[in-house]
Amino acid sequence: MPIKSLLRTLRLVSGLILMLFVVGHLANLAIGLKSLEAMQAWLAHLMAPWQTPVGKFLLVGSMLLHVALGLYSIAARHSLAMSRTDVVQLVLGLCTPPLLLAHVIVMSMGSKLATAFEPSYGQILSVYWSFAPMLAFQQLFAVIFVWVHGAIGLYSWLVLKPVWRRIGGAVVPLLFGVPILALLGFAEAGKEVLDKLANDAAWRTDITAMVELLNPVRAELDAIQARILTVYGGLLLLAVAIFAGRRLYNRLTPVRVAYDEGLSATGVRGQSILDVSRLNGIPHADVCSARGRCGTCRVHVVAGMDHLSPLNDIERATLARVGADAGDRLACQARVLASGVSVVRVLPAFVETSAAHDSGAWMADSAGDAASGPAA
Amino acid sequence: MKRVLCELGELRGLWRAALALVALCAPFPAHALSAESGMQGMAMTALESAKSGLAERIQDLRMASSEVGRISEALAAAVLGGEGVRALTYLLILILVGCGAEWLYWTYASAPLRVIKATRAVSRRHAARLALRRMVLLGAGLLLFAVATIATSAAFTWPAGVHAAVVAATFAVVVVRLAWMAVDLIIVPGPAHRAPQRLVPLLQGQVHWAAACVLGVALALAIGGFVPALIEPIAGARHVAGALRVLAASLTAALLVSTLLLLSRRSNRGEKGDSGARRRLPQFPRAIVVVLLVVAVYGLWLLGAETAAAIAAIVSIVIALQLVSRVLVFYFWEAEIAADAEAAEARTGAEVIDPSLAPSIVLSVARFIIVLLGLGACALVLNAPMSDMAKSPHVLVRLGFELLGVAALALFAHVAWIVIRTTIDHRLERIGPINAGDPHGEPSPNARLLTLLPLLRTTAAVSILVMMVLSSLWALGIEITPLLAGAGVIGLALGFGAQALVRDIIAGIFYLAEDVFRVGEYIESGTTTKGTVERITLRTVALRHHNGPLHFVPYGALGTVRNNSRDWVIDKFNLPLPIDADSEKIRKMIKKIGIAMLDDPEVGHMLREPLKGKLYRIDPGVKIFRCKFETAPGNQFDVRAQAFKRIEAELKAMGVKFADGVQTVVVERPPLLMDAGTAQA
Repeated sequence: MPIKSLLRTLRLVSGLILMLFVVGHLANLAIGLKSLEAMQAWLAHLMAPWQTPVGKFLLVGSMLLHVALGLYSIAARHSLAMSRTDVVQLVLGLCTPPLLLAHVIVMSMGSKLATAFEPSYGQILSVYWSFAPMLAFQQLFAVIFVWVHGAIGLYSWLVLKPVWRRIGGAVVPLLFGVPILALLGFAEAGKEVLDKLANDAAWRTDITAMVELLNPVRAELDAIQARILTVYGGLLLLAVAIFAGRRLYNRLTPVRVAYDEGLSATGVRGQSILDVSRLNGIPHADVCSARGRCGTCRVHVVAGMDHLSPLNDIERATLARVGADAGDRLACQARVLASGVSVVRVLPAFVETSAAHDSGAWMADSAGDAASGPAA
Repeated sequence: MKRVLCELGELRGLWRAALALVALCAPFPAHALSAESGMQGMAMTALESAKSGLAERIQDLRMASSEVGRISEALAAAVLGGEGVRALTYLLILILVGCGAEWLYWTYASAPLRVIKATRAVSRRHAARLALRRMVLLGAGLLLFAVATIATSAAFTWPAGVHAAVVAATFAVVVVRLAWMAVDLIIVPGPAHRAPQRLVPLLQGQVHWAAACVLGVALALAIGGFVPALIEPIAGARHVAGALRVLAASLTAALLVSTLLLLSRRSNRGEKGDSGARRRLPQFPRAIVVVLLVVAVYGLWLLGAETAAAIAAIVSIVIALQLVSRVLVFYFWEAEIAADAEAAEARTGAEVIDPSLAPSIVLSVARFIIVLLGLGACALVLNAPMSDMAKSPHVLVRLGFELLGVAALALFAHVAWIVIRTTIDHRLERIGPINAGDPHGEPSPNARLLTLLPLLRTTAAVSILVMMVLSSLWALGIEITPLLAGAGVIGLALGFGAQALVRDIIAGIFYLAEDVFRVGEYIESGTTTKGTVERITLRTVALRHHNGPLHFVPYGALGTVRNNSRDWVIDKFNLPLPIDADSEKIRKMIKKIGIAMLDDPEVGHMLREPLKGKLYRIDPGVKIFRCKFETAPGNQFDVRAQAFKRIEAELKAMGVKFADGVQTVVVERPPLLMDAGTAQA
């Protein structure tokens, strides 16, 4: 049962669905650059697919799945050795649910509890810009956090694909353009809302009345939010506790790994070879940040193959794809179970994504460079 | 000469400006000179101002807490509203743009950076070059971030006061990141296998402390520098700003003191562990001096004398850098200096004459630049208009500048002299004495350098000295035009008078430049002057005749030179043999001798072409064989003697005699008488 690759696919698919939703939503916000009415008009088109039962199911399902997988990945960790990008992605991802919760609850539950409540951009923006600016801060951070988290995931997935050479030039501007335009639209629409609130008395009474509608159910909404937050916090604590417990338990059995060039490093039982390299500052190629996709971290195991964790499905597939020799392992997947492992890094530490596309050609190309490069 | 002086003249303006700064920084105000009588009064005034400065600081600290409450209320009121939301929106866009630009840069630059990081430094200077390359990469990213952020910030209409805060915050971030970059490049905190990349002589146990100290100080200074400047005008909270400054300064001082004490303790311990045998004489602990300096600067600042504190800090930093600069610079040439010392010890058993050229120059220049930077920093602190300085009405101040200018010139001259002397000395040392003990041996190809280099060294010394003196006079404001003109006139007169001398010198330069002869070569000039070149001076060459007398020949009279010591010599001699000698046999015999001579331990190595002979002429009663061989110059006599010896022995063995001088006259007789004639003979 290829459980690891299944989980990876699920995380990717759920993330992509969420990203699609976020893009639509942010595009809607960006229309605020034109006017508040245009924003409201486009809302129906951009958000309509998500209002259908299938859309709702996909969205909610992806959301729950993605959060659950994120928490699981924390619980399954063996060390905190991560690239800076990964740290950013993890922290932003963990912060997102609490930040978004208020907005999601009001949008989905509000009209159910207060039947007359009909959310519109005018109201929501009035709340943000005038009635409760604290919520606006929360939302702004949520937008950035979600987007950066998603963009990192999308980029690190796509950049390893051969297709990136063709679409990269189009995707990167989007990665920056969408959130910036959305924020600008938010600011422009906010100006318009403030202006209307000040000058359009009828509109103001409308909005105020609509906002008042929520007041009776506020307590209920807050209770729901508190409950969800408690559950989330509990799960997060549990995941961290599992990680910490394993880390502390494994601490009792330190393991030693020997590298080429006479280097050696110490880690604890259960950490991958790449974790040990990172924790000890040993240069080691890892283009995909330990996701087991690129195959650049692979090592040739000189001794102690039976002290490493057995091949998993991700590793087997990647090794086959890059055409690795027998006795090669992926440093990011092979976990060290006991001392006495001795490895040789196959690729130099400075490889980039091109090595992931076709590592054989890369090594042949740079054989001369690599030999003379670092020495020069 | 004149051109050089002109260039120095251009520099002079620069010097004046630099010196002007010093004068401002020097605690040399005019009234202090005139008010000598008020020594006590001055001390009282200083004490008064110190007292009030301290009181102000204490007041700041005391009032700060109430002000913080007021500010935070005002801030909350300002932030919770449309303005606050707008500001945050723009700020987030700014962060996206700045970080995004840098991220995009790193998608290209991270691979080269990893290449540099993975490169193993083979020497300290290689490590420095690598660090430089890393600095360019990292610095470009930082610059991109700063420029993108600040430029984008101009595109928005910010709520009042926020724009300044955003720009200041960006600067603060840049300062802290610069400090981090410096730490990463110079101190290189990390595991022991990164030690070869370290650019300062720190022990492995010290690097993390040093890195933390630098970062902490940068953070404290960034906060103390940028935040109060924002709070004061916007929120009008003078006391909070003052309190923040005090906190930042205290934190900086505490960090510096603790780190200095820690580092000195560790390095002492390290030394003892490394070489317990080599004990040094007791010294006053330097760390305490440095700590006292830090405390003094901090105290000055606390007492309100901010400018004085800044200048004291700069001066102490300059002095500290001067003290450690030798260690810091020589650290990069450690391997070479150790090798040099070892080689010199092996060769002569004495110390090296000089450290290598490069570190000496770098050291001089570095010291000079440190002083200049210190002066510049002082000028910045004092906010002094540089252009007015040199025109100070005070004679002593001006003289001070000018003397400093002379010092700078002397430094220049010193650097130039080090460059020339060390280069020449090292070169000479490497060439070594030529033909020690054997004046007739083949001179080495560097013999000419051996004659030229000392000449060059003396010339350079004289010209540097002359130029230095002239420029110093000029810098001191003494007119040197008459001096130069006088020198010109005298030069003209001397030139006419000493035509022959000049001709000799110039001819000599050309003889040397064209490599006509070198010390140790045997030359002939004209018919009578011949001998081995023993000495080459500015005007004459000394030739030792093979009979002993020493000829001193001025170059002008040397004329055509016949150099007998170049490349090779062909020697030919005749061998008269009786007419009945078998010429083919003789030829073969000579050839055999030639081949045998190649293996001779005495002359074999001198031969370039072996001895050969052939029948050259037939005279009545005599066959003349001509023999020839080729040797290195000066060896032909030995080789010829050896050849004669061998030929004679061989001929004796063959039973062939040399042709005797008696001519045999054969008289043609009629055939009848022939029998009788032969019987009689």
